Amino acid sequence: MTGLNVIEARGLCKDRVSSFLLKRSMVLDNLSLTVKQGETYGLLGPNGAGKTTTVKILLGLMKPDRGEVSVLGKTAGDHSSLKRIGFLPENPYFYSHLTGLEFLEFIARLFGLKRFEIKDRIKDLLRLVSMEADANKPMNKYSKGMLQRLGIAQSLINDPDILFWDEPMSGLDPIGRRDVREIINQLKRNGKTIFFNSHLLPDVNEVCDRVGVLVKGRLVTEEKISNIDQGGGYRDLEDFFLAQAER
Amino acid sequence: MFSTVIDPIFAIALNTFRETVRDRVLYAFFVFACLITVLGILLGSLSVGQDIRIVEDLGLTVIAIIGGIIAVFAGTNLVYKELERRTIYVIFTKPVSSWQFILGKYVGLSLCLFVVLVGMGLFLLGLVSLVDPEHHMQLHIHGITCSLALVLLELLFVLAMATFFSTFSTPIMSVIFTLSLWFIGHLGSSLIDLSRMSNNPTAQNLLSTLYWCLPDLAQLTRVRSMLMYGKEPSQEIIVFMLSYVMAFILLLLGLASIVNERREFP
Ligand SMILES: Nc1ncnc2c1ncn2[C@@H]1O[C@H](COP(=O)(O)OP(=O)(O)OP(=O)(O)O)[C@@H](O)[C@H]1O
Ligand SMILES: [Mg+2]
Repeated sequence: MTGLNVIEARGLCKDRVSSFLLKRSMVLDNLSLTVKQGETYGLLGPNGAGKTTTVKILLGLMKPDRGEVSVLGKTAGDHSSLKRIGFLPENPYFYSHLTGLEFLEFIARLFGLKRFEIKDRIKDLLRLVSMEADANKPMNKYSKGMLQRLGIAQSLINDPDILFWDEPMSGLDPIGRRDVREIINQLKRNGKTIFFNSHLLPDVNEVCDRVGVLVKGRLVTEEKISNIDQGGGYRDLEDFFLAQAER
Repeated sequence: MFSTVIDPIFAIALNTFRETVRDRVLYAFFVFACLITVLGILLGSLSVGQDIRIVEDLGLTVIAIIGGIIAVFAGTNLVYKELERRTIYVIFTKPVSSWQFILGKYVGLSLCLFVVLVGMGLFLLGLVSLVDPEHHMQLHIHGITCSLALVLLELLFVLAMATFFSTFSTPIMSVIFTLSLWFIGHLGSSLIDLSRMSNNPTAQNLLSTLYWCLPDLAQLTRVRSMLMYGKEPSQEIIVFMLSYVMAFILLLLGLASIVNERREFP
């Protein structure tokens, strides 16, 4: 851990316009956060708090109305930093007529990986997420959890330094969740930075170094997991979350 | 270095091709086209004396229309479908530029159109060989191939238009825009005649601007009917048409990339 800030957001504001009557609402309100290299950061918050929006802005899919973002020292969406980033979108749903294997090949080629690297890499990843048996099925025959596993595999294909995972545990069975926890621990050992959203607090508690709680677009608190566990006056992370979110 | 630019385009093209070719809707269109052609021929042989030229003409028209429908719908759904299925997120969080995405999609769909045209063309040739007792197959193959090449050229242009509109409007609106411009393009030089007839100066300007902005698709039809009557268009006309349509396609795709570049993906 070198302590370098790899993700930095300063004063992000974002309005979203709902198509109905063009009503504007503030989704992010002066959000600032930093994540250090090698850190595992969990962004928590109630539904609609703006977690997914934050991730999209950090990746350059959306532009903030105000504020600045830097990821790996570059502006959001810069190609040289995207090369070193893995992203798992929320509720991944991919191409119905492609097989899982074809999809992983597609993603690998988007990164410009070499043909000979791709094969071994995909084999390893399919094993990692226990999807070897279903790799040749078309994706419209996948269950939700299988899509989620495939999504995790595609996010790791370029051996990224930073991972953005939007609800990586959602839809997974207990075995899958344990597998993901193990993957996260392995990534942590390799010094990767992980930024993720989740509602599954026991899992967050187990893998995260630090959490932030986002409520209605405002980051109400940030705390080290170790501080919450040991005498913060809270029973567990859930207690902490409820206390912060309903403050 | 070169491969990191080409690879994503190729990957997107292959992906698009697979997704489209494996879609059952495509086969529905295909079967429909074949049925209509056969039906037309059966009806035709009942009324007028069987004429190969009529069979060919009918077949080619059906192919052009069905190909056009596929081009318009596939093209206008291009960005929308990826947005709706949220696959766009996985693409634009990779080191992929907007122009690579647009070009890849376009190439993939063009490939599909090519395959569909070849398939329907082979079917038509089969029909013609059944109907033609004297088996001037050499002649038919030449005529049909040349005409289909013209149809493909026109459809490539339609696809580029649909792609362009799809980057900033909903599929329904893009279909309307594309179909109207396609239709207007076919009016060709009659637009000029129309503008002369009109008394309203605004309408005059509008019509002549449209004429100068749009490719003269009527010319493609003229060459096609020339071919049907066994006349070869001159080399110059072919080169001119090719470069003319290609320039339009490049322009439209370039504009589409620029529009797409500025776009947010909520
Ligand atoms: N496509 C969209 N267009 C307009 N507004 C949107 C859109 N997507 C989300 N929003 C609004 O933005 C706000 C934040 O949404 P966001 O998806 O970031 O929440 P979230 O914290 O990820 O929630 P969840 O836990 O349910 O995933 C919500 O109020 C939502 O209504
Ligand atoms: Mg979300």
